[in-house]
Amino acid sequence: MLLAVVQPWPEGKQPTDAVLMERILQRDTGALEALYDRYGRLVYSLVLRIAQHPSSAEEIVQDVFLQVWRSADRFQISRGPLEPWLFTMARNRALDFLRLKREKQRRREDSDSDIVPSAVVRPDPEGDIDQGRRAEKIRALMTSLPETQRRAIELAFFEGMSHSEIAAATGEPLGTVKSWIRGGLLRLRESLGEASS
Amino acid sequence: MNCEQLAALYEEYALGVLEGEERAELEAHLAKSGDKCVAGVAEARWMVSQLAHAAPDTQPPAALRGRIMDAVKTSADPARAVVPLEKPKSSTQGAIFPAWAWVAAAALALITGYTIRQMNNQNDQLAQLRKEMKLATLQNQALQNQLDMDRMVAMVMMSPDSTPLKLMPKDKNMPMVHAYLHPHMGVAITADQMPSIPSARTLQLWFVPKNGKPVSAAIFHADALGQIAFVAPVTLPRNEIAALAVTDEPAGGSPQPTTPIAWMAQVN
Repeated sequence: MLLAVVQPWPEGKQPTDAVLMERILQRDTGALEALYDRYGRLVYSLVLRIAQHPSSAEEIVQDVFLQVWRSADRFQISRGPLEPWLFTMARNRALDFLRLKREKQRRREDSDSDIVPSAVVRPDPEGDIDQGRRAEKIRALMTSLPETQRRAIELAFFEGMSHSEIAAATGEPLGTVKSWIRGGLLRLRESLGEASS
Repeated sequence: MNCEQLAALYEEYALGVLEGEERAELEAHLAKSGDKCVAGVAEARWMVSQLAHAAPDTQPPAALRGRIMDAVKTSADPARAVVPLEKPKSSTQGAIFPAWAWVAAAALALITGYTIRQMNNQNDQLAQLRKEMKLATLQNQALQNQLDMDRMVAMVMMSPDSTPLKLMPKDKNMPMVHAYLHPHMGVAITADQMPSIPSARTLQLWFVPKNGKPVSAAIFHADALGQIAFVAPVTLPRNEIAALAVTDEPAGGSPQPTTPIAWMAQVN
């Protein structure tokens, strides 16, 4: 397969995610480099947090960006922005790795749960809100949560645990775990609402 | 529970912590409810994805970017992946020597020449080995990806919650396309002996809702053997889907079908 020849974007102007994905569809490797420069660090941070193993995290990140390159045609900007699509794919792949590792440890062959990324909708147009501002909000929110509540949300997001699995892992009653998570998510919603206002 | 009460569970559903009755009740509700609730879940998915920012900020190794780009360029154009190794350059020096020194120099030159040729041969062999290793890695990666996809397809096909469907071709010369519709894991699509289509065209899978316009589910091509096996996410509640359809569209897909339906199955 030959790489397509595409025009570079004007100097000083940062292309939107949609433009980069369009360029990737045209087999423009420079667009993938730009996409990696934009999201590589975030995706690596997320995957490393889940996989807890640098070399495995590198493999997963490589796999994620290769998947973006190969499956760019499956991304539709009309169905939502790129960032959550990328994060969801990275999270699912890292959780998949984690589950596989646990399965091997338990010597079980049961398959894991759904790893198909679903459509996401962001309430505001792409690029309207500064990514860094949202990241700061999220980090500030997590820091402000009580330790037990933060731990419960981390177990859910970074380790893919359900309510009852978190209850078993923390030794807390199921109702308490549900209450922590519900409260934490409510504050997340409020925080992101403030960030977008 | 009513719509407002269940809306409080959207984020937990998107986070993946809901289970048992709560999950079943919410999914049943989503299947019955309208676009508003589905949009609510989609927004919750976006919100939950933002928790990625809570991961400790870590700089990836500098070499990772290069490895990704190498893999991409290799997969895009194998010929470009072959990085020629620099061959050692020989240098000559001129001087005035006695005859015996000329003989010694000639012998040394012969040995040097032989050594350089051997080194070149070894470099060529090394380059060839590296090329083969890269190709093997790519093949392994492709196989792994295929294996992952096949595994997903098998999971959806074997799930007792999946509904098997037969997408009948409008053209009787075309093969039948099989679909397995799972409310959460996605819809698995399989077919054999599919025709090849021009690179400027693609096949596009649609969810046809009971009310409203078709919703794109995926674009796809048959492989070199005419086989199709993939899983696409289900973007509509199961009970809202009236039919699955496939059309022939321009490469990259279309927002709405632009050609007549080529394959279709009603969803009961």
